[in-house]
Amino acid sequence: MSIIEIRNLVKRYPRPDNKTETFNAVDDISLQIPAGTIYGILGPNGAGKTTTLEMLEGLTDIDGGEAYIDGVCVNTHPYEIKKIIGVQLQANEYFDNLSLRELITLFGALYGRSSDPVELLGRVHLTEKAEARPANLSGGQKQRFSIACALVNDPKVLFLDEPTTGLDPQAKRNLWSLVQELNGTGMTIVLTTHNMEEAETLCERIAIMDHGRLIAENTPRQLILQHAPEPPQAPLHGSLEDVFLVLTGHGLRE
Amino acid sequence: MKSATPLPLVLARTLTKIFLRDRQAIFFSLFFPIIFMVVFGFVGNQDQEPISLGIVNNAPGDLSRDFIQLLEGNPLFVVTEGEEQTLREALIAGDTTMVLILPEELQQTDNSVELGLLVDAAQVQELGLIMPVLEQSLLAVERQLRSTEPLFTLAVEDVQARSQRYLDFLIPGLLAFTLMQVSIAGSGFNIVEYRRKGILKRLFVTPLKPSDFIAGIVMSRISLCILQIAVLLGIAVAFLDVTILGSYLQLFAVIFLGAIIFLCIGFLLGSLAKTQQSIQAIGNLVIFPQIFLSGIFYPIESLPGFIQPVAAILPLSFVANALREIANNGASLVQIPLDMLGIGVWMVISFIAATRYFIWKEVAA
Repeated sequence: MSIIEIRNLVKRYPRPDNKTETFNAVDDISLQIPAGTIYGILGPNGAGKTTTLEMLEGLTDIDGGEAYIDGVCVNTHPYEIKKIIGVQLQANEYFDNLSLRELITLFGALYGRSSDPVELLGRVHLTEKAEARPANLSGGQKQRFSIACALVNDPKVLFLDEPTTGLDPQAKRNLWSLVQELNGTGMTIVLTTHNMEEAETLCERIAIMDHGRLIAENTPRQLILQHAPEPPQAPLHGSLEDVFLVLTGHGLRE
Repeated sequence: MKSATPLPLVLARTLTKIFLRDRQAIFFSLFFPIIFMVVFGFVGNQDQEPISLGIVNNAPGDLSRDFIQLLEGNPLFVVTEGEEQTLREALIAGDTTMVLILPEELQQTDNSVELGLLVDAAQVQELGLIMPVLEQSLLAVERQLRSTEPLFTLAVEDVQARSQRYLDFLIPGLLAFTLMQVSIAGSGFNIVEYRRKGILKRLFVTPLKPSDFIAGIVMSRISLCILQIAVLLGIAVAFLDVTILGSYLQLFAVIFLGAIIFLCIGFLLGSLAKTQQSIQAIGNLVIFPQIFLSGIFYPIESLPGFIQPVAAILPLSFVANALREIANNGASLVQIPLDMLGIGVWMVISFIAATRYFIWKEVAA
C-alpha cells in the first residue's frame, strides 16, 4: 500500500534569463511511495528534488498535478498534511538563546501538543545535550536535533533533505542507523541525497530525477542490474554511482 | 494531549525569553537613549545659565520700563540694554543670543505695535522655546496696562510657574524615538533575520498559523517595549529630576498604541525587504525622516514652513506630541483628540498594510 501518491506533479518557475518565460523545475512527476519504506530521491543539483519535497510539505504551491499523503490531498488540505508529516530542511538553524529542551517544547506547542523533550532527545541520542544551545552542537548532532524536532508530532511520514551532506563518516553512519531505527517503528522516510552509498544502504526504493523529470525508479538492485555499464567500472560489481552517472551524464552541475 | 496555554502566548513567552537572554541586544536598545538623556541632562542643567537678550529701547517711558523689568525678573533671561548697532555686533559675535527692538510707537498704547526680534540663525532652535516666554511677558505687560480680568492671570501664572528645561522637552520625544526603534527592529529586522536563517521556513512546515505567529511577536514586543521605556523613564525621573505631569497610565496607553503602529510598519518592511541590507536601507528611509521631522529633538514649529504640514502627519509626530502633552502639560487623552485621531488612523493604515503584505509563503521563502 502506498502512503504517498504523486500524480503528474508540475512546478513552474520564471526563467532566470528571461522572466516572461517559465520552465518546469518539476516536470510531470508521478510516484508511489509504499508505506513503511525508506525512499530515496536522487539527482544532480537543480534536478528538482528539493522542489518536489517542498511541494509535498506544502511549502511551495503545486502548479500542476496532485499529491496525496495518507489519503489527504496536499493541494487542498495543506494544514492537515502539516499535522501528519515531519520535516528536516537543508538549512537547520533555530532561534538563538534557547536550549534544545526549550526548542523541542516550542515545536510541540506549534502542534498543540505537550511533548516530552527528554524522551525525544533520547531517541536521537542527545539526552546529555538537553541544556545546550543548537549553535554549540557538531554537524552530526545538529542533524539529529533537526530530526528530533521533526518527530514532535509523531509523523507518519518523515522528510529528510540531504541529511548527511557535510557530515564526517562517523556522524554519517550514526545518522543512518538512526534513520533505520525510526523506520523500524513503521515510519515512512523520504530522503534526498547525493551519496550513492547512502541510497544503496538505506533505501528500499529509489527515484532518480534530472532536469525536473523522473528518469528511473526501482529498487537499488534492479537499477544496478538494468543500468550499470558492462563491464562494470568498479572491478567486482556495478555500483549505484555508475548507474547514476550513466543516467545523468558526467557534465558538472552548478 | 492538548496543552492549555494558547499558542500565541507560548510564542510570546518564548520570544521574550530569547530577547531577555540576549545581553547585547538589551544593552544596545537602552544605550543610546540613556546616553542622550544623560548628555542632555547635563546640558539642561547648565542651561540654567540664562539666555542673553539685548534690548534696544527706542521708546523710553513707563511702558517699556515695565516690560524690561518683567523680562529681567524672568530667570530665563539676562537683559542688556544698548544701542542697536552695538547689540547687532554682539549678536553676530555670538555674545548675545537675540536682540529685541522696542519701536517708538510703543508709547502710544491704543494701537498694537510690532516688536522687532533679531536672532542668530544658528540658534534658531531655541527660538521655539523662547518665543512663548517672550509672548507671556508681553501679555503680562499688556494686562497690567489694561488691568484686565484676573481669570486670565491665573492661567498665565500657571504656565510660568514651570520653567521648562530642554530635557523636559526632550524626554517624551526620546521615549517616542525609542518606541519606534525597538518596535521596527523587533518586528521587521527580526523577520528578515528569521528568514535568512531559514527559521520562518521551518515554522511554516508546522501547522502554525501566520496570525498566531504575528500575535506572538506583537505581544512579546509590546511587553518588551513597555519594559524598556519604563526603564528609561525610571532613570529620567529618578536621576534627572524629570517630572511627568499627566497620568502614567495614559502615557503608557499612548506608548502601547504607538508600539502597535511601529510593529505593523516593521512587519510591512520585513515582508517587502528580502535581505538584511535592504531592510537596513528601507528601514532608514522610514526611520531617519521621522527622527528629524517629528519633533523629537526640537519642535516641529522650528522646521521650514513648507515641511511642517508633512512633518505634522508623520506617525512619530502624533505619538511624540501626545506623549509630550501628557508629560509636560498634564493633558489627558481626551484633551488631545487630534493626536489620538492621528494615532488611530495610522494604526488602521499600518495594520492593513502589514497584513496585506505578510504572506507566509512569500515571506518564508
